[in-house]
Amino acid sequence: VSAPPATNCEACHAALLPGDRFCEVCGARVAGAEGDGEPGLEGACHACGAPPSAIGLDGYCTRCGALQRAPGDRSEVDLAFAAAVSDQGRVHRRNEDAFHLERGERAGDAVAVICDGISTSRSGHLAARAAAAVAGGMLARALGDGTADAEQLTVEAVRAADEAVVRVPTPATTRAALAPPSCTLVCATCRDREVVIGSIGDSRAYWLAPEGARVLTVDDSWATEQSAAGLLDPEQAAADPRAHAITRWLGPDVEDVTPQIRAFSPDGPGRLLLCSDGLWNYAPAPADLLELLAQLPAKASALVVARALVDAALVRGGRDNITVVVIDIAPEGRSPQ
Amino acid sequence: MTQFSADIDQNEYLPLGATEVNAIVTVTAMDDPEAATSDAKAVEIVIVDVSGSMGTPRSKLRSAKQATKAAIDCVRDGVDFAVIAGDDSVEAVYPASGTAVADPGARARARDAVDRLTAGGGTEIGRWLTLADDLFGSAPGAIRHAILLTDGQNGERAGVLEDVLASCAGHFQCDCRGVGTDWEVSELRKIASALLGTVDIVPEPEGLEREFRALMEAAMGKATADVALRLWTPQGSKVAFVKQVAPTVEDLTDRAVQARKPDGDLDPLTVDYPTGAWGDESREYHVCVQMPARAAGDEALAGRVKLMVDGEAVSEAKILAIWTDDEVLSTRIDPAVAHYSGQAELAEAIQDGLQARRDGDERLATMKLGRAVQLAAEGGNDGTMKLLARVVEIDDPVQGTVRLKRNVAEVDEMSLDTRSTKTVRVQKSAPPTAPGQ
Repeated sequence: VSAPPATNCEACHAALLPGDRFCEVCGARVAGAEGDGEPGLEGACHACGAPPSAIGLDGYCTRCGALQRAPGDRSEVDLAFAAAVSDQGRVHRRNEDAFHLERGERAGDAVAVICDGISTSRSGHLAARAAAAVAGGMLARALGDGTADAEQLTVEAVRAADEAVVRVPTPATTRAALAPPSCTLVCATCRDREVVIGSIGDSRAYWLAPEGARVLTVDDSWATEQSAAGLLDPEQAAADPRAHAITRWLGPDVEDVTPQIRAFSPDGPGRLLLCSDGLWNYAPAPADLLELLAQLPAKASALVVARALVDAALVRGGRDNITVVVIDIAPEGRSPQ
Repeated sequence: MTQFSADIDQNEYLPLGATEVNAIVTVTAMDDPEAATSDAKAVEIVIVDVSGSMGTPRSKLRSAKQATKAAIDCVRDGVDFAVIAGDDSVEAVYPASGTAVADPGARARARDAVDRLTAGGGTEIGRWLTLADDLFGSAPGAIRHAILLTDGQNGERAGVLEDVLASCAGHFQCDCRGVGTDWEVSELRKIASALLGTVDIVPEPEGLEREFRALMEAAMGKATADVALRLWTPQGSKVAFVKQVAPTVEDLTDRAVQARKPDGDLDPLTVDYPTGAWGDESREYHVCVQMPARAAGDEALAGRVKLMVDGEAVSEAKILAIWTDDEVLSTRIDPAVAHYSGQAELAEAIQDGLQARRDGDERLATMKLGRAVQLAAEGGNDGTMKLLARVVEIDDPVQGTVRLKRNVAEVDEMSLDTRSTKTVRVQKSAPPTAPGQ
């Protein structure tokens, strides 16, 4: 396999990987990253350039046979009413996403955490694993202790996760420009049909219900901050090369790691979805997700839904690691299987 | 409904620069245990030689009739069947035209018709097969199977039989049996091979009845007609060969038929190898693909094998290639690939050795049959070893040191020749023989 020609980001001049839609350093959109039929473009076979439609669901090119991702790179947890699927994707050499999913004593209770290691940092994968494990462990205690304030505990869990990230050793590297180990975090505590979401960075939470879907988190990104401050309208902000650059994360170079908190009580049955940007880059609007799910049977299990979403992101290119947690919520006291 | 499964044995790790990928595909078909007997639609035809030579000794024709009647008795009720007799012409023995639906009355009438057969005339096998082909007609989805018996060589001019085989191929399967020693192994093998059947020698006429009964019982056990092995290989690659390696060696490479995509267009990367009808059984295939080498750590699909029944894939397996600079990984030879490479070479060494012996090239015959003895010893081919021992004196089986026997019975040479393609299965439980242990 010959080395593809190197290109640089128009905004920050950092080196780009072939097929990048966004600069991994500053988040700038890469001009001309559309189309298919040539090696390195979105979703095309990395070896022969066959279009994305030629990539089989098992990851092998149906034209030249090249594997589009390493095998054994997917991990899954199935709790029946909740499930997590994490996949390396088709381009990244390793999975820098991490997750934690744990059920409580009471039917339907669960905690979930997804962390996305920042790939321009050193050891982003270690940061993500440490943060997900620490935050997940702390939140799980809230399930057993009915008196604990879930919102307060979420803030504390995210701070503890940040401390764990800061302690991740920084390996010696010649690439001095790299950031220290860092990651995003999104978490959910589902206790007695109450849901508390915490987030920092651009991993997201969605509520998917039969009557509609909505996003529960606000990205800590350049685009969101610009539009929130009234400086640009959302469309202008999203079109800016810096749109995807995240503004807050867990790591030693961020001072305030207080997460956004959102608490709500679902008023009907639905599904809570947590995901890394490896999924929502391909389905940014809640309606896009509903469209994907419309192809599944209404009674599809959480695992089937999670797999279908991850597979959809793979089929559409899988440029990033993809992690999805799905938790089925039945508020009328119907205990989900 | 028959369940098919396909499994792969291979060492997917290749050294850098390697371009050849080898794998053994094991296909196992298992009938639904709920269905006590097969009710598959089937057409069975018995083709019996009534040329003049069948009359001497008289016991030969008598045994052939007995065997044909035994085969008729094995035909399940509801199966279409026919008996035809051939010499230098061919006649429908039962029914007078077309095929009959088996029931006790039809079987009795068929037996009576067989009893009236007399011997006389030459041997023109192409004519027999042409009539059989007509009688099979087009019965889509049905199992179409014939048993052909002869005791002599084909009397048709060169090329006639080959033309007939080319036009019959794919229409029906044919198991061929030669009785006595006046027939030619290579001729019957050519017929059996073209018509996806087996070939064997029945040295004494008395053995025919048992053989025919076994053949018809096996045919009645088939539940799925027209199974194809479909092989996808990547663009830029080449199928070096596809061989059935168990229960017998049969080179399928030249039988490849370009497959079609769902939209009807030819699929340039996919070919089908017809494998005929299947019962409860397991067959193994050695697939060898040549493809461009890739970089260290790269993984690619070298082949995708599907079992096709009625245009549907009923089982699938992947042949992989992963290039590595780790020699511990890449130098390990898969035991199944090693075993069946030896089995295929064994069949070839026997056939080449016997041909050299017939040609009077004693040096080449000794070398080839010596190699055969060595491979039979390595592979655990006890049956083949016994047959070899009737043709050569074995001084050292491990080294393959042999001497040609001066007086070899024709029947022994022909038995070795016809059964040279029979293989033994790899001993999966055998302890690994890692180098250095």
